[in-house]
Amino acid sequence: MRSWIGLAARLVLAGVLLVAGGAKVGDLAASVRAVHAYDILPYTASKVVGATLPFVEIAVGLLLLVGFATRLAAAVSAALMVVFVGGIASVWARGLRIDCGCFGGGGELAADRSPSYGWEIARDVALLAVAGYLLFRPASRFALDNAFIAEEDDDGDDEEEADQGSAVGSAG
Amino acid sequence: MVTTRKKPIKGQRSGRPAESVGKAAGSKRPARSVMARQLAHERARRRAWIAAGIAAALLVVAGLAGWYAYQSQRPDSTAASAPPPAGADAAGVRVGTGTVTVDVYLDFMCPHCRDFEDKADDALAKLVSDGTATIVYHPLAFLDSASSTRYSSRSAAASGCAADAGRFVDYATALYAQQPAEGSAGLSETQLVNLGSVAGLTDPAFEQCVRTDKYLAWVDGVTERAVKKGVRGTPTVLVNGQAVDADPQAVTDAVDKAS
Repeated sequence: MRSWIGLAARLVLAGVLLVAGGAKVGDLAASVRAVHAYDILPYTASKVVGATLPFVEIAVGLLLLVGFATRLAAAVSAALMVVFVGGIASVWARGLRIDCGCFGGGGELAADRSPSYGWEIARDVALLAVAGYLLFRPASRFALDNAFIAEEDDDGDDEEEADQGSAVGSAG
Repeated sequence: MVTTRKKPIKGQRSGRPAESVGKAAGSKRPARSVMARQLAHERARRRAWIAAGIAAALLVVAGLAGWYAYQSQRPDSTAASAPPPAGADAAGVRVGTGTVTVDVYLDFMCPHCRDFEDKADDALAKLVSDGTATIVYHPLAFLDSASSTRYSSRSAAASGCAADAGRFVDYATALYAQQPAEGSAGLSETQLVNLGSVAGLTDPAFEQCVRTDKYLAWVDGVTERAVKKGVRGTPTVLVNGQAVDADPQAVTDAVDKAS
Protein backbone atom coordinates (compact mmCIF):
# COMPACT_ATOMS: atom_id res chain seq x y z
CA MET A 1 0.00 0.00 0.00
CA ARG A 2 2.73 2.34 1.01
CA SER A 3 4.51 1.81 -2.29
CA TRP A 4 1.37 2.87 -4.17
CA ILE A 5 1.32 6.09 -2.17
CA GLY A 6 4.95 6.53 -3.15
CA LEU A 7 4.03 6.10 -6.81
CA ALA A 8 1.25 8.67 -6.53
CA ALA A 9 3.59 11.10 -4.79
CA ARG A 10 6.20 10.65 -7.51
CA LEU A 11 3.71 11.22 -10.30
CA VAL A 12 2.15 14.32 -8.72
CA LEU A 13 5.53 15.94 -8.12
CA ALA A 14 6.86 14.87 -11.53
CA GLY A 15 3.80 16.25 -13.31
CA VAL A 16 4.03 19.64 -11.64
CA LEU A 17 7.79 19.95 -12.22
CA LEU A 18 7.58 18.89 -15.86
CA VAL A 19 4.78 21.34 -16.58
CA ALA A 20 6.53 24.14 -14.70
CA GLY A 21 9.87 23.55 -16.41
CA GLY A 22 8.33 22.95 -19.82
CA ALA A 23 6.41 26.23 -19.66
CA LYS A 24 9.65 28.15 -19.17
CA VAL A 25 12.15 26.57 -21.57
CA GLY A 26 10.79 28.27 -24.66
CA ASP A 27 11.64 31.76 -23.41
CA LEU A 28 14.54 31.57 -20.99
CA ALA A 29 15.03 35.34 -21.10
CA ALA A 30 11.53 35.61 -19.62
CA SER A 31 12.52 33.08 -16.97
CA VAL A 32 15.54 35.23 -16.08
CA ARG A 33 13.29 38.31 -15.87
CA ALA A 34 10.82 36.41 -13.68
CA VAL A 35 13.64 35.55 -11.25
CA HIS A 36 14.99 39.09 -11.29
CA ALA A 37 11.50 40.47 -10.61
CA TYR A 38 11.76 38.97 -7.09
CA ASP A 39 14.43 41.61 -6.53
CA ILE A 40 16.47 39.25 -4.36
CA LEU A 41 19.51 38.31 -6.45
CA PRO A 42 21.99 40.48 -8.34
CA TYR A 43 21.33 40.36 -12.08
CA THR A 44 24.09 37.89 -12.94
CA ALA A 45 22.80 35.45 -10.34
CA SER A 46 19.24 35.91 -11.61
CA LYS A 47 20.52 35.01 -15.06
CA VAL A 48 22.10 31.78 -13.82
CA VAL A 49 19.03 30.77 -11.81
CA GLY A 50 16.56 31.78 -14.52
CA ALA A 51 18.41 29.94 -17.26
CA THR A 52 19.18 26.73 -15.37
CA LEU A 53 16.05 26.31 -13.20
CA PRO A 54 13.65 25.22 -15.99
CA PHE A 55 16.01 22.48 -17.14
CA VAL A 56 16.69 21.31 -13.59
CA GLU A 57 12.94 21.17 -12.96
CA ILE A 58 12.49 19.02 -16.04
CA ALA A 59 15.41 16.76 -15.08
CA VAL A 60 14.07 16.24 -11.55
CA GLY A 61 10.61 15.66 -13.01
CA LEU A 62 11.99 12.94 -15.28
CA LEU A 63 13.87 11.28 -12.41
CA LEU A 64 10.65 11.16 -10.39
CA LEU A 65 8.62 9.97 -13.36
CA VAL A 66 10.82 6.92 -13.90
CA GLY A 67 11.64 6.54 -10.20
CA PHE A 68 15.39 6.73 -10.48
CA ALA A 69 17.33 8.02 -7.47
CA THR A 70 13.96 8.88 -5.99
CA ARG A 71 15.35 10.00 -2.66
CA LEU A 72 17.79 12.45 -4.24
CA ALA A 73 15.11 13.76 -6.60
CA ALA A 74 12.76 14.20 -3.64
CA ALA A 75 15.47 16.04 -1.70
CA VAL A 76 16.09 18.42 -4.61
CA SER A 77 12.33 18.95 -5.07
CA ALA A 78 11.93 19.72 -1.38
CA ALA A 79 14.83 22.18 -1.53
CA LEU A 80 13.27 23.88 -4.57
CA MET A 81 9.91 24.20 -2.81
CA VAL A 82 11.55 25.69 0.28
CA VAL A 83 13.31 28.26 -1.94
CA PHE A 84 10.08 29.03 -3.85
CA VAL A 85 8.08 29.50 -0.66
CA GLY A 86 10.81 31.71 0.79
CA GLY A 87 10.99 33.80 -2.37
CA ILE A 88 7.25 34.34 -2.61
CA ALA A 89 6.98 35.12 1.11
CA SER A 90 9.78 37.66 0.75
CA VAL A 91 8.06 39.35 -2.20
CA TRP A 92 4.78 39.39 -0.30
CA ALA A 93 6.42 40.89 2.77
CA ARG A 94 8.03 43.65 0.73
CA GLY A 95 4.75 44.49 -0.96
CA LEU A 96 5.89 43.83 -4.52
CA ARG A 97 3.18 42.98 -7.04
CA ILE A 98 4.53 40.24 -9.27
CA ASP A 99 3.50 37.04 -10.95
CA CYS A 100 5.50 34.24 -9.29
CA GLY A 101 6.56 33.02 -12.73
CA CYS A 102 6.06 29.49 -11.45
CA PHE A 103 4.61 28.27 -14.74
CA GLY A 104 6.16 30.75 -17.14
CA GLY A 105 5.26 34.40 -17.29
CA GLY A 106 6.42 36.42 -14.33
CA GLY A 107 7.21 40.05 -13.73
CA GLU A 108 5.00 42.84 -12.51
CA LEU A 109 1.28 42.30 -12.55
CA ALA A 110 -0.89 44.58 -14.64
CA ALA A 111 -2.89 47.09 -12.64
CA ASP A 112 -6.08 45.08 -13.07
CA ARG A 113 -4.64 41.89 -11.61
CA SER A 114 -3.91 41.17 -7.98
CA PRO A 115 -1.23 38.86 -6.60
CA SER A 116 -2.12 35.38 -5.36
CA TYR A 117 0.80 34.82 -3.02
CA GLY A 118 -1.25 32.96 -0.42
CA TRP A 119 -2.46 30.36 -2.90
CA GLU A 120 0.98 30.00 -4.43
CA ILE A 121 2.60 29.43 -1.05
CA ALA A 122 -0.11 26.94 -0.04
CA ARG A 123 0.44 25.01 -3.26
CA ASP A 124 4.20 24.90 -2.80
CA VAL A 125 3.89 23.86 0.84
CA ALA A 126 1.62 21.00 -0.25
CA LEU A 127 4.21 19.95 -2.83
CA LEU A 128 6.89 20.26 -0.16
CA ALA A 129 4.92 17.79 1.94
CA VAL A 130 4.73 15.38 -1.00
CA ALA A 131 8.49 15.71 -1.56
CA GLY A 132 9.08 15.25 2.16
CA TYR A 133 7.09 12.02 2.14
CA LEU A 134 9.23 10.66 -0.71
CA LEU A 135 12.38 11.83 1.02
CA PHE A 136 11.63 9.58 4.00
CA ARG A 137 9.79 6.83 2.11
CA PRO A 138 11.27 6.69 -1.38
CA ALA A 139 10.01 3.16 -2.00
CA SER A 140 7.34 2.98 -4.66
CA ARG A 141 5.81 0.86 -7.41
CA PHE A 142 7.06 0.99 -10.99
CA ALA A 143 10.34 2.63 -10.12
CA LEU A 144 13.67 2.05 -11.83
CA ASP A 145 15.12 2.06 -8.34
CA ASN A 146 13.45 -1.30 -7.73
CA ALA A 147 15.48 -2.94 -10.46
CA PHE A 148 18.68 -1.09 -9.86
CA ILE A 149 19.00 -0.69 -6.14
CA ALA A 150 16.67 -3.03 -4.35
CA GLU A 151 17.81 -6.34 -2.98
CA GLU A 152 15.24 -8.98 -3.73
CA ASP A 153 11.74 -7.64 -3.27
CA ASP A 154 12.85 -5.02 -0.83
CA ASP A 155 12.45 -1.60 -2.29
CA GLY A 156 13.73 0.75 0.33
CA ASP A 157 15.78 0.99 3.46
CA ASP A 158 12.82 1.77 5.62
CA GLU A 159 10.99 -1.42 4.89
CA GLU A 160 14.06 -3.54 5.28
CA GLU A 161 13.54 -4.49 8.91
CA ALA A 162 9.89 -5.36 8.54
CA ASP A 163 10.57 -7.34 5.41
CA GLN A 164 13.29 -9.48 6.88
CA GLY A 165 11.38 -9.88 10.06
CA SER A 166 8.34 -11.24 8.34
CA ALA A 167 10.44 -13.59 6.25
CA VAL A 168 11.70 -15.16 9.42
CA GLY A 169 8.27 -15.02 10.91
CA SER A 170 6.58 -16.83 8.06
CA ALA A 171 9.30 -19.42 8.08
CA GLY A 172 8.87 -20.16 11.76
CA MET B 1 6.20 -11.20 -0.76
CA VAL B 2 5.52 -9.61 2.56
CA THR B 3 2.58 -11.71 3.42
CA THR B 4 1.95 -13.50 6.65
CA ARG B 5 2.47 -12.64 10.26
CA LYS B 6 4.47 -9.57 10.92
CA LYS B 7 6.09 -10.55 14.14
CA PRO B 8 9.78 -10.06 13.94
CA ILE B 9 11.28 -11.47 17.05
CA LYS B 10 14.88 -10.58 17.38
CA GLY B 11 15.76 -13.36 19.75
CA GLN B 12 14.31 -15.96 17.47
CA ARG B 13 16.23 -14.74 14.52
CA SER B 14 19.60 -14.92 16.17
CA GLY B 15 18.78 -18.15 17.90
CA ARG B 16 18.41 -20.22 14.75
CA PRO B 17 20.45 -20.23 11.60
CA ALA B 18 18.25 -18.59 8.99
CA GLU B 19 19.22 -21.05 6.31
CA SER B 20 17.85 -24.11 7.96
CA VAL B 21 14.70 -22.27 8.92
CA GLY B 22 14.07 -21.31 5.32
CA LYS B 23 14.55 -24.82 4.02
CA ALA B 24 12.49 -26.39 6.73
CA ALA B 25 9.49 -24.23 5.86
CA GLY B 26 9.93 -24.68 2.12
CA SER B 27 9.96 -20.93 1.59
CA LYS B 28 10.00 -19.74 -2.00
CA ARG B 29 12.87 -17.45 -1.27
CA PRO B 30 16.05 -19.21 -0.30
CA ALA B 31 16.88 -17.83 3.09
CA ARG B 32 20.30 -16.44 3.50
CA SER B 33 22.83 -16.25 6.21
CA VAL B 34 23.15 -13.06 8.20
CA MET B 35 26.43 -12.33 6.48
CA ALA B 36 25.04 -12.85 2.99
CA ARG B 37 22.19 -10.57 3.89
CA GLN B 38 24.56 -7.92 5.11
CA LEU B 39 26.58 -8.18 1.93
CA ALA B 40 23.48 -7.83 -0.19
CA HIS B 41 22.42 -4.90 1.91
CA GLU B 42 25.78 -3.23 1.40
CA ARG B 43 25.62 -3.87 -2.33
CA ALA B 44 22.21 -2.27 -2.46
CA ARG B 45 23.46 0.72 -0.52
CA ARG B 46 26.38 1.10 -2.87
CA ARG B 47 24.10 0.91 -5.87
CA ALA B 48 21.85 3.51 -4.29
CA TRP B 49 24.80 5.86 -3.99
CA ILE B 50 25.82 5.18 -7.58
CA ALA B 51 22.27 5.95 -8.72
CA ALA B 52 22.32 9.18 -6.71
CA GLY B 53 25.66 10.07 -8.29
CA ILE B 54 24.35 9.47 -11.79
CA ALA B 55 21.24 11.50 -11.03
CA ALA B 56 23.27 14.36 -9.56
CA ALA B 57 25.44 14.39 -12.67
CA LEU B 58 22.29 14.50 -14.78
CA LEU B 59 21.08 17.55 -12.87
CA VAL B 60 24.39 19.32 -13.41
CA VAL B 61 24.23 18.52 -17.13
CA ALA B 62 20.65 19.83 -17.22
CA GLY B 63 21.78 23.08 -15.62
CA LEU B 64 24.61 23.50 -18.12
CA ALA B 65 22.21 22.72 -20.98
CA GLY B 66 19.93 25.46 -19.67
CA TRP B 67 22.73 27.98 -19.63
CA TYR B 68 23.76 27.02 -23.14
CA ALA B 69 20.15 27.22 -24.39
CA TYR B 70 19.74 30.64 -22.79
CA GLN B 71 22.81 31.96 -24.58
CA SER B 72 21.74 30.49 -27.90
CA GLN B 73 18.22 31.94 -27.62
CA ARG B 74 19.68 35.44 -27.40
CA PRO B 75 21.18 37.45 -30.22
CA ASP B 76 24.74 38.61 -29.78
CA SER B 77 24.17 41.91 -28.02
CA THR B 78 27.68 43.07 -27.26
CA ALA B 79 28.16 46.76 -27.99
CA ALA B 80 30.12 46.11 -31.20
CA SER B 81 27.49 43.85 -32.73
CA ALA B 82 24.46 45.88 -31.64
CA PRO B 83 24.86 49.47 -32.82
CA PRO B 84 21.85 51.60 -31.82
CA PRO B 85 19.64 53.28 -34.43
CA ALA B 86 20.13 56.96 -35.25
CA GLY B 87 18.78 59.15 -32.46
CA ALA B 88 18.97 56.24 -30.03
CA ASP B 89 21.52 54.81 -27.66
CA ALA B 90 21.93 51.47 -25.96
CA ALA B 91 19.12 52.36 -23.54
CA GLY B 92 16.44 53.49 -25.98
CA VAL B 93 15.19 56.06 -28.48
CA ARG B 94 15.48 59.70 -27.38
CA VAL B 95 12.87 62.18 -28.59
CA GLY B 96 13.08 65.89 -27.72
CA THR B 97 15.59 68.12 -26.00
CA GLY B 98 13.92 69.04 -22.72
CA THR B 99 15.71 68.89 -19.39
CA VAL B 100 13.19 66.61 -17.70
CA THR B 101 13.62 62.99 -18.72
CA VAL B 102 10.56 60.81 -19.16
CA ASP B 103 11.38 57.11 -19.61
CA VAL B 104 8.69 55.02 -21.25
CA TYR B 105 9.27 51.24 -21.10
CA LEU B 106 6.94 49.57 -23.56
CA ASP B 107 6.25 46.42 -25.49
CA PHE B 108 4.33 46.60 -28.75
CA MET B 109 2.58 43.36 -27.80
CA CYS B 110 1.30 44.77 -24.50
CA PRO B 111 -2.34 45.97 -24.48
CA HIS B 112 -1.81 48.32 -21.52
CA CYS B 113 1.06 49.95 -23.41
CA ARG B 114 -1.33 50.62 -26.26
CA ASP B 115 -3.85 52.08 -23.82
CA PHE B 116 -1.16 54.33 -22.39
CA GLU B 117 -0.07 55.49 -25.82
CA ASP B 118 -3.71 56.15 -26.81
CA LYS B 119 -4.26 58.33 -23.77
CA ALA B 120 -0.84 59.96 -23.36
CA ASP B 121 0.25 60.49 -26.96
CA ASP B 122 -0.87 64.13 -27.13
CA ALA B 123 0.48 65.01 -23.70
CA LEU B 124 3.89 63.50 -24.49
CA ALA B 125 4.01 65.24 -27.89
CA LYS B 126 3.30 68.55 -26.18
CA LEU B 127 6.07 68.02 -23.60
CA VAL B 128 8.46 67.46 -26.50
CA SER B 129 7.24 70.31 -28.69
CA ASP B 130 7.35 72.93 -25.94
CA GLY B 131 10.87 71.78 -25.04
CA THR B 132 10.03 70.71 -21.49
CA ALA B 133 10.95 67.06 -21.62
CA THR B 134 13.02 64.47 -23.40
CA ILE B 135 11.11 61.25 -23.85
CA VAL B 136 13.21 58.11 -23.89
CA TYR B 137 11.29 55.23 -25.43
CA HIS B 138 12.56 51.78 -24.45
CA PRO B 139 11.00 49.18 -26.77
CA LEU B 140 11.29 45.92 -24.83
CA ALA B 141 11.00 42.26 -25.75
CA PHE B 142 9.10 41.16 -22.64
CA LEU B 143 6.22 39.32 -24.27
CA ASP B 144 7.95 37.17 -26.86
CA SER B 145 6.14 34.10 -25.60
CA ALA B 146 2.76 35.79 -26.22
CA SER B 147 3.15 35.25 -29.97
CA SER B 148 4.44 32.33 -31.97
CA THR B 149 7.00 34.46 -33.82
CA ARG B 150 8.66 36.50 -31.06
CA TYR B 151 6.65 39.49 -32.21
CA SER B 152 7.79 41.64 -29.28
CA SER B 153 11.40 41.37 -30.42
CA ARG B 154 10.63 41.77 -34.11
CA SER B 155 8.31 44.76 -33.76
CA ALA B 156 10.74 46.47 -31.39
CA ALA B 157 13.56 45.88 -33.88
CA ALA B 158 11.39 47.36 -36.64
CA SER B 159 10.75 50.42 -34.45
CA GLY B 160 14.54 50.83 -34.36
CA CYS B 161 14.47 51.00 -38.15
CA ALA B 162 11.86 53.75 -37.91
CA ALA B 163 14.07 55.59 -35.42
CA ASP B 164 16.82 55.54 -38.05
CA ALA B 165 14.54 57.71 -40.18
CA GLY B 166 13.50 59.85 -37.21
CA ARG B 167 9.96 58.45 -37.23
CA PHE B 168 9.88 56.26 -34.14
CA VAL B 169 6.80 57.87 -32.57
CA ASP B 170 4.73 57.74 -35.77
CA TYR B 171 5.67 54.14 -36.38
CA ALA B 172 4.92 53.21 -32.78
CA THR B 173 1.42 54.65 -33.20
CA ALA B 174 0.99 52.57 -36.36
CA LEU B 175 2.22 49.42 -34.58
CA TYR B 176 -0.18 49.91 -31.68
CA ALA B 177 -3.06 50.47 -34.10
CA GLN B 178 -2.37 47.02 -35.57
CA GLN B 179 -1.50 45.27 -32.31
CA PRO B 180 -1.90 41.52 -32.79
CA ALA B 181 -3.92 39.39 -30.38
CA GLU B 182 -2.17 37.48 -27.66
CA GLY B 183 -1.25 33.98 -28.81
CA SER B 184 -1.37 34.88 -32.51
CA ALA B 185 1.52 34.85 -34.96
CA GLY B 186 1.81 38.62 -34.92
CA LEU B 187 2.45 40.74 -38.00
CA SER B 188 4.69 39.33 -40.70
CA GLU B 189 7.83 41.13 -41.87
CA THR B 190 5.91 42.26 -44.95
CA GLN B 191 3.14 43.70 -42.80
CA LEU B 192 5.73 45.47 -40.64
CA VAL B 193 7.25 46.98 -43.78
CA ASN B 194 3.85 48.00 -45.16
CA LEU B 195 2.92 49.65 -41.87
CA GLY B 196 5.85 51.96 -42.47
CA SER B 197 3.97 53.78 -45.22
CA VAL B 198 1.35 54.85 -42.65
CA ALA B 199 4.18 56.55 -40.76
CA GLY B 200 5.78 58.01 -43.88
CA LEU B 201 8.46 55.34 -44.13
CA THR B 202 8.75 54.39 -47.77
CA ASP B 203 12.52 54.36 -48.00
CA PRO B 204 13.94 51.03 -49.27
CA ALA B 205 16.47 51.31 -46.43
CA PHE B 206 13.57 50.89 -43.98
CA GLU B 207 12.36 47.76 -45.72
CA GLN B 208 15.88 46.34 -45.83
CA CYS B 209 16.35 47.12 -42.12
CA VAL B 210 13.07 45.43 -41.10
CA ARG B 211 13.61 42.35 -43.25
CA THR B 212 17.11 41.75 -41.88
CA ASP B 213 16.05 42.26 -38.25
CA LYS B 214 18.92 44.70 -38.05
CA TYR B 215 18.13 45.92 -34.54
CA LEU B 216 17.23 42.62 -32.90
CA ALA B 217 20.45 42.61 -30.88
CA TRP B 218 19.93 46.24 -29.92
CA VAL B 219 16.46 45.36 -28.60
CA ASP B 220 17.95 42.53 -26.56
CA GLY B 221 20.42 44.99 -25.04
CA VAL B 222 17.70 47.58 -24.35
CA THR B 223 15.62 44.89 -22.66
CA GLU B 224 18.48 43.63 -20.52
CA ARG B 225 19.36 47.15 -19.40
CA ALA B 226 15.78 47.78 -18.38
CA VAL B 227 15.60 44.54 -16.40
CA LYS B 228 18.89 45.35 -14.66
CA LYS B 229 17.43 48.71 -13.75
CA GLY B 230 14.51 46.98 -12.07
CA VAL B 231 11.80 47.34 -14.72
CA ARG B 232 9.48 44.39 -14.10
CA GLY B 233 6.65 45.06 -16.48
CA THR B 234 5.28 47.24 -19.23
CA PRO B 235 4.27 49.97 -19.41
CA THR B 236 6.62 51.48 -16.87
CA VAL B 237 6.98 55.26 -16.83
CA LEU B 238 9.68 57.18 -14.98
CA VAL B 239 9.97 60.94 -14.65
CA ASN B 240 13.55 61.86 -13.82
CA GLY B 241 14.04 58.30 -12.60
CA GLN B 242 10.96 58.24 -10.36
CA ALA B 243 8.17 55.81 -11.21
CA VAL B 244 4.81 57.40 -11.94
CA ASP B 245 1.47 55.88 -12.95
CA ALA B 246 1.13 55.17 -16.65
CA ASP B 247 -1.40 57.95 -16.99
CA PRO B 248 -1.02 61.26 -18.89
CA GLN B 249 -2.11 63.39 -15.92
CA ALA B 250 0.35 61.68 -13.56
CA VAL B 251 3.15 62.16 -16.08
CA THR B 252 2.51 65.86 -16.75
CA ASP B 253 2.09 66.57 -13.02
CA ALA B 254 5.43 64.91 -12.30
CA VAL B 255 7.08 66.80 -15.15
CA ASP B 256 5.65 70.12 -13.91
CA LYS B 257 7.04 69.41 -10.49
CA ALA B 258 10.43 68.46 -11.87
CA SER B 259 10.84 71.37 -14.27
